[in-house]
Amino acid sequence: MTNNELAKTAPIPQRENTKLAMWLFLGGEVVFFVSLILTFIMTRLTQSDYETQFRSHLSIPVIAINTFILVTSSYFVVRALEAITFNGDQKKLRNNLIVVLTLGLLFLAGQAFEWTTLFREGVNLSSTFGTPFFTITGIHGTHVFVGVLWIIYLLAGHKRLPFTKQNHLAIENFGLYWHFVDIVWIVLFTLIYLI
Amino acid sequence: MTKEAVEKRPNYLLIFVLLAAFTFIETLVSYVQQQAIKFPVLLTLSVVKAVLVLLYFMHLKFDARLFSYLFIAGCVLSIPLILVITLVMPVII
Repeated sequence: MTNNELAKTAPIPQRENTKLAMWLFLGGEVVFFVSLILTFIMTRLTQSDYETQFRSHLSIPVIAINTFILVTSSYFVVRALEAITFNGDQKKLRNNLIVVLTLGLLFLAGQAFEWTTLFREGVNLSSTFGTPFFTITGIHGTHVFVGVLWIIYLLAGHKRLPFTKQNHLAIENFGLYWHFVDIVWIVLFTLIYLI
Repeated sequence: MTKEAVEKRPNYLLIFVLLAAFTFIETLVSYVQQQAIKFPVLLTLSVVKAVLVLLYFMHLKFDARLFSYLFIAGCVLSIPLILVITLVMPVII
């Protein structure tokens, strides 16, 4: 079989290899976050004073706004990808990425505000619920921070070598990562804050 | 994005509106006192939101099946982990 024939039978085009790598990475991330979430759930199930010791300190409206911010940022990522995929619109791509960057920073600011409030109210890293809570939200926040750095890298790279209708896989891969971080937050929002 | 995703071009604004609306409903439901209502509603909405993001924003609905399988593999691999943590941790604690 020639290389061309082999390429035709491949489940994905060769140019999408990095996307395959991204999905592999995300599959691994699922296992990682499931273990963290389970630790929190188990701590919660085995301790009786969850309501008084921890949940009463959480500010649901603030976190709901933060969730809305992250969901909105996901929408702007899709808009950025759409702009470059369908129209090859460089300006729209850049503007949408700047909006995502701003929303990502706003989310981190919201989380910093939440953490500061909790510390002030006595919920710290050594408390029963504080340990799993700060670990999960901290790791998730780190993922958002990495995403923010990634956008800066894309914006800088875009200046030197602009993305085109045909060459935008880097944006798509970033999008997959960002949406995954959004999904993790959707789950955390429900399991930690709402239930 | 695959050719199919490009051709079908989902209504991303509608998906976003749904996600925002579900987040708002979830926040309201969290103030309900009866766990029997609260728990299933919140879990269902959370799963629906995650699936919407996966299918439309991450294009799993239109992309090569292989990508879906990789994500599902991550979920399947988590099952032994779930069993170990839920069965072993209560004994340790």
